[in-house]
Amino acid sequence: MGTDRGLRAAGFAGMLAFLLAAPGFLGEYQVHALIVSLTFLLPALGLNLILGYAGMLSFAQMAFFGIGAYVSALMAMRWGTPFWLNLCAASLVAGIVAVPLGFPALRLRRYSFVMCTLGFAVIAQTLAKNWVSLTRGDLGLSNVPRPVLGLWSSGLEIRSVTQYYYLALALGVIAVLAFLALVSSPAGRYMIAIREDETLAASLGAPTWRYRMAAFVLSAMFAGCGGSFYVHYYTVISPTIFDPYYGNTLLVIVLGGGVGTLGGVVAGSFIFVALSEVLRVAPDIRMIAYGLLLIVVVFGCPEGLLPLLMRRLRTWRRADAT
Amino acid sequence: MLIDVAVNGITAGSVYALVAVGMTIIFGVLRAINFAHGEYYMLGTFGAWWAIETVELPYLVSIPLAVAIVAVIALAIGMLVMRRLIDAPFQIGVVATLGVSLVLQNVVILIFGGSYKMFNGGWIEPVEILGAGVSEQRILIVIAALVIFGGIELVVRRTRFGKTMRAVAQNIEACKIMGVDVPRVVTGTFVLGCCLAALSGALTAPVTGSLYGGMGTAITVKTFAIIVMGGVGNVSGTLLAAWLLGLMESAVAGYLGLQFRDAVAFIALIGVLTVLPGGLFSRRERF
Repeated sequence: MGTDRGLRAAGFAGMLAFLLAAPGFLGEYQVHALIVSLTFLLPALGLNLILGYAGMLSFAQMAFFGIGAYVSALMAMRWGTPFWLNLCAASLVAGIVAVPLGFPALRLRRYSFVMCTLGFAVIAQTLAKNWVSLTRGDLGLSNVPRPVLGLWSSGLEIRSVTQYYYLALALGVIAVLAFLALVSSPAGRYMIAIREDETLAASLGAPTWRYRMAAFVLSAMFAGCGGSFYVHYYTVISPTIFDPYYGNTLLVIVLGGGVGTLGGVVAGSFIFVALSEVLRVAPDIRMIAYGLLLIVVVFGCPEGLLPLLMRRLRTWRRADAT
Repeated sequence: MLIDVAVNGITAGSVYALVAVGMTIIFGVLRAINFAHGEYYMLGTFGAWWAIETVELPYLVSIPLAVAIVAVIALAIGMLVMRRLIDAPFQIGVVATLGVSLVLQNVVILIFGGSYKMFNGGWIEPVEILGAGVSEQRILIVIAALVIFGGIELVVRRTRFGKTMRAVAQNIEACKIMGVDVPRVVTGTFVLGCCLAALSGALTAPVTGSLYGGMGTAITVKTFAIIVMGGVGNVSGTLLAAWLLGLMESAVAGYLGLQFRDAVAFIALIGVLTVLPGGLFSRRERF
């Protein structure tokens, strides 16, 4: 176990060193792909929290991502608020919206919960399409201001891809640390206990409903942050953000990478975004290949790529030792 | 206006019902949400369109041909993918069927192109009923739905296959011990469910008039709402929930505007689940 932890720490340190140095030796397009991966990492961490630690499969993640993006864009466009404020507001609004949804949804068992959250994404898209006075409907919002790092209107404006990359990396690292702190706290342990056996956890006095609600709200807040960065990077947002495609990508990252593990989800964000970019060389069969890959991955390593890799590593070392 | 709304609602509801009943029986035996279910509806529509446009068959012949094509595809997917979902954790089923949905949708787009196509066929002559003009095709859809639902109730309740289906739905381990060939029941149920979706697609095409590769997604999503409201595994509950949804959608589209129609299913779903977590027709929450 001790060596495992050492291995894990070394893996993270190596990955961070690589990511810090990446713009030095990668082209602009590759750096852009890394930014996309880091953008997906935030809602993916949220999904990992609710699915991997609280055991509920939510399709609302991308809806919260979209809500965060719209909130951030509208604030920046109407009031010229700085990036940090938009980010906080996006995360806060996403968290607040999750509460009234949580009341009916969290009472349900898994399948009904899945459908309820899926429905929320559909409703959010309908709203984004039809509240034209606020969202400009299908046209979407364009010319969203670039992020400004400063207390108010003055400060460093992020323009180049490299600058965006380091901003995304900083957000990603903060999110990973926040996630780590959360799941190793007593609250995180309660969530795991509830996932494993809700009745048992309740009988031991764990306020199960409250923790499930907390996991749901926190996952929405992660997604809201991601949406805020997304909209300031692409500078456009339209109701297509609520399309099932994005939600599915998120699911693939978390389930393919290794649900309930932190490293798996981080690795999954990079692997599956990279894969989707690589497949762009054959646009005709891109989605077909992606679909086939999903089927192969899910049956080939049902617990995710990283846990599979870790197990392989462990057997190799055991074989070396004997 | 009111009669138009009612007629449209019942027709749309019957279409949903045929797709949803397939999904609900598949869910019963497999405990897996089939995210690709709308794609079989799409394939049914495309099968009929292809038979009419390329092979130049009459519409009446194109329907069984479309269902047969989908049966073959569903059999292949049932053997390759769905059988592996027996006893698998529910997330695996979600991702695997999402993969199937992506493949089917994009293969169709690759073969036939991504643009909208017009469907020429069916009986769209209006008939006068209660002072409103109703096309013959719509009447056919409603009658077909009623006949098929009667048939399914019979199959599920009276035949040996139906009995095994219910047994697998109740307790898969006990079935294995008793020597029931579970993979075969699962594949059979899956093919039956997909054929119903395909039939629904082929029957609806003359009314909707157009088809495209991505048309299945909206159907899948609405079907989820229907089977949860109707109570998962409940055949007659599904029909009632589907009609109810069809009527609500048609009323919203008629009085509020077409753009709000697609959100109705889920506002209704969330509303229903808030009050009755087991669906409209069951006191107990089951899944």
